[in-house]
Amino acid sequence: MLHCVITCGVSMSYEIVAAQAGLSSKATKNHWPAWLDILQGSTGLFLALFMWGHMAFVASILLGETAMWTVTRLFEGYFIFGRSYPGLVSCAVAFVALAFVAHALLAVRKFPVSYRQCRTILSHAKAMRHEDSALWIVQVCTGFLLFFFVSAHLYQMFVWPQNIGPYASADRVWSDGLWPFYLTMLLAVELHGGIGLYRLAVKWGWPNVPRAVLKTVKWGLTAFFLVLGLATLAAYMKIGFDHRAHYGERYTPERMLEDGARREGGQ
Amino acid sequence: MSAITENNGSAAAVDAEPRQGRWLTFNILRCDPADPGAVPHLRAYRIEEADSMTLFIALNEIREHQDPTLKFDFVCRAGICGSCAMMVNGRPKLACRTLTASLPAENTLAPLPFFELIGDLSVNTGKWMRGMSERLQTWLHGREDDVDLRRIEERMDPDLAEQIYELDRCIECGCCVAACGTARMREDFVGAVGFGKIARFRLDPRDARTDGDYYALIGDDTGVFGCMSLLACHDVCPKSLPLQTQIAFLRRKMAMTGTRR
Amino acid sequence: MKTIMTDVLVIGGGLAGLRMAIAARRRGHDAIVLSLVPPKRSHSAAAQGGMQASLANVSRGAGDNEDVHFEDTVRGSDWGADQVVARMFVNTAPKAVRELAAWGTPWSRLRRGDHEVIINEQKVVLTERAEAHGLIAQRDFGGTKKWRTCYVSDGTGHAMLFTTSDQAIRHGVEVHERTEALALIHDGARCYGAVVRNLVTGELAAYLAKATAIATGGAGRLYRVTTNAVICEGIGHALALETGVAALGNMEAVQFHPTGIFPAGILVTEGCRGDGGLLRDVDGHRFMPDYEPEKKELASRDVVSRRMEEHIRAGRGAPTRFGPHLWLDITLLGRRHIEHNLREVKEICQYFLGIDPAESWIPVRPAQHYTMGGVRTDHTGQSPHLKGLFAAGEAACWDLHGFNRLGGNSVAETVVAGMIVGEFIADFCDKPENTVPVPLTLAREFVRREEAGLSAILACGGHENPFQLCSEMQEIMTHYVGIFRQGDALLSGVVNLQHLLARSREIGVSGKSRAANPELVAAYRLRRMLKVALTIAYGAYLRTESRGAHFREDFPRRDDQGWLKRTLAFWPDEDPALPRIDYEPLDVMKMELPPGWRGYGAKNYIDHPDAPRRRQEVDATRARMRDADRHAVQNALMPYADELPASLAGRNERLDEPLETAQ
Repeated sequence: MLHCVITCGVSMSYEIVAAQAGLSSKATKNHWPAWLDILQGSTGLFLALFMWGHMAFVASILLGETAMWTVTRLFEGYFIFGRSYPGLVSCAVAFVALAFVAHALLAVRKFPVSYRQCRTILSHAKAMRHEDSALWIVQVCTGFLLFFFVSAHLYQMFVWPQNIGPYASADRVWSDGLWPFYLTMLLAVELHGGIGLYRLAVKWGWPNVPRAVLKTVKWGLTAFFLVLGLATLAAYMKIGFDHRAHYGERYTPERMLEDGARREGGQ
Repeated sequence: MSAITENNGSAAAVDAEPRQGRWLTFNILRCDPADPGAVPHLRAYRIEEADSMTLFIALNEIREHQDPTLKFDFVCRAGICGSCAMMVNGRPKLACRTLTASLPAENTLAPLPFFELIGDLSVNTGKWMRGMSERLQTWLHGREDDVDLRRIEERMDPDLAEQIYELDRCIECGCCVAACGTARMREDFVGAVGFGKIARFRLDPRDARTDGDYYALIGDDTGVFGCMSLLACHDVCPKSLPLQTQIAFLRRKMAMTGTRR
Repeated sequence: MKTIMTDVLVIGGGLAGLRMAIAARRRGHDAIVLSLVPPKRSHSAAAQGGMQASLANVSRGAGDNEDVHFEDTVRGSDWGADQVVARMFVNTAPKAVRELAAWGTPWSRLRRGDHEVIINEQKVVLTERAEAHGLIAQRDFGGTKKWRTCYVSDGTGHAMLFTTSDQAIRHGVEVHERTEALALIHDGARCYGAVVRNLVTGELAAYLAKATAIATGGAGRLYRVTTNAVICEGIGHALALETGVAALGNMEAVQFHPTGIFPAGILVTEGCRGDGGLLRDVDGHRFMPDYEPEKKELASRDVVSRRMEEHIRAGRGAPTRFGPHLWLDITLLGRRHIEHNLREVKEICQYFLGIDPAESWIPVRPAQHYTMGGVRTDHTGQSPHLKGLFAAGEAACWDLHGFNRLGGNSVAETVVAGMIVGEFIADFCDKPENTVPVPLTLAREFVRREEAGLSAILACGGHENPFQLCSEMQEIMTHYVGIFRQGDALLSGVVNLQHLLARSREIGVSGKSRAANPELVAAYRLRRMLKVALTIAYGAYLRTESRGAHFREDFPRRDDQGWLKRTLAFWPDEDPALPRIDYEPLDVMKMELPPGWRGYGAKNYIDHPDAPRRRQEVDATRARMRDADRHAVQNALMPYADELPASLAGRNERLDEPLETAQ
């Protein structure tokens, strides 16, 4: 190292030197805080909207196994390429994971990090009896849970994208015993996303409507997606229960079974 | 003349018959930082409620008749100076204009958190506010140093003047900061009072500063990007300042400024 | 002993104190402001209605200028004012408003075109000229011929104080918050600073300065019902009085504001009446026109307050168990006006009375409001008796207000006197002969004396309770030294106060802490307050006439022959427990406006022997200079321009009085 200094000399930017000395640079505008704040909000917005879309796709099971199968195949490119490429799903998962990690990293900056901070914010919210403050605690707690649950879920979906389907998913929920995992994640994600979107709206002042209205809309959406989510989970549990004897078998729509039989018969 | 001498305190309904006095309990958080051996503790005081009694009257009565060592701050006792903010049942309020009729029989009074404690209910908001003012340079940065005072003043749109006054009504009582979850966790946070000031000067055409200048003051996580929008500031502000919309507005402006080259 | 040295020591962090400190800083001197509370919490913030300055922007202010403002002020003072000071004041007031405008005060601004106002119960449409659009607006106030009161909604004092305080921060004025001056350090001829107690730690320190300025505001808390903040205890007055050398002037002149909300005494602004609000009695009858047909609700405050008490005495008050009161009716102004121009009033009614003033009448009764008297100073703000001691604002007897102050002149005085006296203080500090060797021995002696005083209070095992004695004092002052005064009652008041002063030596405090200790504070302040109370009561007893706010039922006439003089109170010895009262005659022959009828109130007074001669002189001069401009006439009558600091001299521009042609 010393050798290096002697031979090469050291050239460091003013920013580095000033930052190491603990001085904020007045001369040059620091763009980072603005970008990070925008990024935190936009990744949150993306994830929340994605989550709702995701919920809609998953809930297709309520319309029947075939509907869900169709949605799955759609994402695997089946209707474009004529065959499934689960790798496409992995790509999408990777993108969402990227947003998720970015959001988590940015949001964790705001988390209470010491025992003192935890105690302060908890007693504060409790004594204040203030809904928006209490909601933030919910957001932190659910966010903390989601670190683990969403990470695990994303990993699973990334590595085994082919295991998404009416029977495969139902088996996972029931026979693999993951329904408590999904139930917890559902509750956490819906609360976190709903509150997050509301927070985003008041934070940036858009849409510019009274907070009471925003809150009513927020609770309405949360309730809707929770009901939808619970119904969906119940559907998978039921299918998984009925299908437990045929664990591992993949769903094929009856139409295709017939087609296949016809084709076999024709050969 | 003598009638003037007989009254003491304020009246919500001066014509009302004297009500049956309710007994009020005030559990007051006592602490004397000057005494290293003293342990903070809650002490209960009971007084009989009088007609149109405010916390100003109640606390003075406790001090005059029960405990002359009780420390608290009042100045104007009319809700305009911001001295007497304290936690009334867990929420920051101006004590002088809190009628006991609006309180339950059992109450807890505590000093504002976040600020340096002087003793009991008295905290040093003034010191913090001066620091905030120096940090955010909360004075008008005029375009010229010396205005010719003999000349007619510069014109200003009447509606704009009223809008500026709307934000200028802040009394620096500290309620917003004491209610702020962000400030409670990070002590270097500017707080809603600071944002209100910046918004006020930003609105003022007499101030020569640009958004870039304001960005240098509040464009980071101790400033507007640190605000988590819990909005307790907005909900407890005794002057009903539009803090929610002003902070959101600043966030948009500062985000735009910060992302511009 | 902790010693802190500076150039200018300002005691009091309200508008006057801060403005003086800024003036000193701008001239390159160090300044420390001592303040009981954070300066932005000072009582200056409570001024609601506005500040008078003859800008003549509004249509109803057309033709207003320094001359009209001067006459209103002198008439309002019942000829007690120092007319040279009044002239200095009215010429600087527009500059003060404009300075604050340049510093950021959000003055309410004028809108061109028609707007509807309420004047004398009638809706009147006023038309504002286009060229005045955006200039500072003015409203009507009591005792004024023109609409002259500049305002920021009804939070004028607040906005001014925050502007000024922020400028003080900008200029690096050091403010030592939560400190209290206990005594001035002096040698009988020169003031060197003060012994100061830190109210948090209890520590005493000597603050030494070239110039010391008192700007501690009023003494309202000597009375039971007052609009004043709880910190307005007359401590600054007591500081000067206790030197034994400096004098307090006109302490018997105490103003009662007509509209303190009943019974708490919290102020609702004169702007309520200025904007068209009415006073009504138990029957809802508007009674002021019966007494004051011309100015009605907008006569000067002393007159309105007295008429209100008179009406209550006649049995026309609304009875309550706290006693009778009258009503202030602003419902006719309309909700929009109240919510924009009288929003503090609205908040106060809502929080303290539980009523909506747009729909209900406000219960009011006169409450102690202002201390015209104070530390006697010359026109530069310096005590004529103790060199190096200055005073400004309500704590001073400069003497702008004489025996009654006009609404809107006090908050104006704070900044105007702050500017003027601030410059004179800087001049004082500039002079090499005023740099004195540091009197450390003297300072130590004073600190030791105060230390011993506090120890004595803490050690005294007496049975008297300071809070109890304080409320007895307030009772006595309100009862015997109130709006209506009488010789024997005043004498009883004096005797009772003396008795209390003796009892105050028997105060025992239960908490023995030397640090923050409210009981100890109450104890040492009480003795000082009692002395100030005694100067008021004794001065009122001796003044056997009625003038301005000082009204003697046994001597209801103003007596210029016997009493056209300023009361000076000194307190050289502890025994007897009374101030020494002197008088300082006012020279009628030098007055620009010789004594006469005020234009409202009782029309009987005993003329001063010189008055007719002076009136003749003045009339002759005016006749002779019929064609000269008003400044020349004024200069011929009573030259004052040389008395102003050079930086504040000069005429004021108005739309109708452009500076170029005026010069």
